[in-house]
Amino acid sequence: MKRIVLAVALLLATPAAADEDIVSGLSQDTVQITSNYTGTDIVVFGAIENLEATGVNDVAVVVRGPPADMTVREKQWVAGIWINRDQAKLFAMPSYYYVASTRPVESIGPSFTLQSNAIGLANVVPAKFVSHHDPEPFRQALIRHKQSDGLYGEVPGGVEFITQALFRVRLPVPATVPKGQYKVDVYLFRDGALISAQSTPLYVNQAGLEKRLFDFAHDSPLRYGITAVLMAVALGWLGSMLFRRKE
Amino acid sequence: MEIYLPIAEMSVHWLVVLGMGGAIGFLSGLFGVGGGFLLTPLLIFYGIPAEVAVATTSSHITASSISGALAQWRRRAVDLKLGAVMAAGGLAGTSAGVWLFTVMRRYGQMDLLVSSSYVILLGTVGGLMLNESLAALRATCGGATPARRAPQHWMRNLPFRMQFRESRLVISVIPPVLIGFAVGVLSAIMGVGGGFVIVPAMIYILRMPTNVVMGTSLFQIIIVTAATTILQATANYSVDIVLAVFLILGGVVGAQLGVRAGERLRGEQLRLLLALLVLAVALRLFLGLVLKPDDLFSVTTE
Repeated sequence: MKRIVLAVALLLATPAAADEDIVSGLSQDTVQITSNYTGTDIVVFGAIENLEATGVNDVAVVVRGPPADMTVREKQWVAGIWINRDQAKLFAMPSYYYVASTRPVESIGPSFTLQSNAIGLANVVPAKFVSHHDPEPFRQALIRHKQSDGLYGEVPGGVEFITQALFRVRLPVPATVPKGQYKVDVYLFRDGALISAQSTPLYVNQAGLEKRLFDFAHDSPLRYGITAVLMAVALGWLGSMLFRRKE
Repeated sequence: MEIYLPIAEMSVHWLVVLGMGGAIGFLSGLFGVGGGFLLTPLLIFYGIPAEVAVATTSSHITASSISGALAQWRRRAVDLKLGAVMAAGGLAGTSAGVWLFTVMRRYGQMDLLVSSSYVILLGTVGGLMLNESLAALRATCGGATPARRAPQHWMRNLPFRMQFRESRLVISVIPPVLIGFAVGVLSAIMGVGGGFVIVPAMIYILRMPTNVVMGTSLFQIIIVTAATTILQATANYSVDIVLAVFLILGGVVGAQLGVRAGERLRGEQLRLLLALLVLAVALRLFLGLVLKPDDLFSVTTE
């Protein structure tokens, strides 16, 4: 609590000689996926402190979903049909990745800084890669797929400045986002050097009936399967009864 | 209104799902088939993951077979004993099928397994049906239904003979168990009831009297698809109960409308239409296998 008060105080006071820093927050820290969830936007907002310092300020906001192991397969033409042949396993890839920046990512900082902080889709790499083949085409295919699913995105110019110091980023959260703990990282670059970074957690949960059904299916699959069958039998029986009366 | 499917993990519009259930129900009522062979591909074309489509369709078939089975039961046109023997084979078959399904999924060949089974089976069945219905249409004089032949000699000579009173048969249990097994495998990997295989097998191989064929096959389909649903739920967590409810609701209504529409069409015309429909689905899936896909890469998240 004290820390929040302090952060707000710092944000408002904009002290003249404070450490160069960045403050940020989220419009909501939890997303609940319910039955009528069709996607939403979360707003990441923040402020650059100590604006007196000269130089070009660049902000990059990176949102990462919980890591997941993914398998990418490549179809090949075998005996007249297209069949999955070569495959690669990419360990601990972000299940969701979205980066917004003031300018194109590659121009805001040196490539080794961008690589070590995994800023930009070009720098999203797996923790481990298992395949007999060249990894790059598989990694690119994965990024392409996730982009078309709306789960990966890179938006240069996606950081919108309201005043010289205050900025905001609109973060799309489509209905297909994986559940879990997300990390929202805000990076401040000045004249190409990474000055400050701040990390905020974001939680995406399934809520309500869907959550309970998902847990039911995974925690007690036998009872779930029997329930599905009983429901099918009951609906089929009910249907035939209803329509028999009408005839 | 969009609904979120908890197992397929995607949002769909409830009217679309209800409509698909209704359309398939209509066709199954019209043609007197379960409709699983149309529903599974339709769900896959719509973007439902193949494993969820196959598993969820099983529960849809359980529901849609109930009303038919109840009607046949009232008419005492179910050979429970023979149905139970076939279902025993079916349970073994569906276990084997679900196991095969799980193994193929691990190797990323599940889509290939599902598509190629469909192409082979629907291509064969559709071709035979087309041939038969064209011949029937040509010989419109009709009226001469082939007389029922006696049970085949070799079936009496196999061990484990049993008497099936309602079917008026004394045959070895081996052929019905094997037929049940084969259909059980199909049920697990294709999400079909398998009526279009069981019914001809009962008539032409087991030589059951036609009046008990429908009821007995429905009885065994209910047992096998119910078992498939439970096995898929425990082995692959791939039964989506929300999707199933909407498909079944649409299907129940659609089937009634289909039955009524079917009464105005002649049997041979119906069979010709069904044959063309089956061949069209087979062709669509065949093209999916042989045409170069837009994107050669596919991604699965564990």
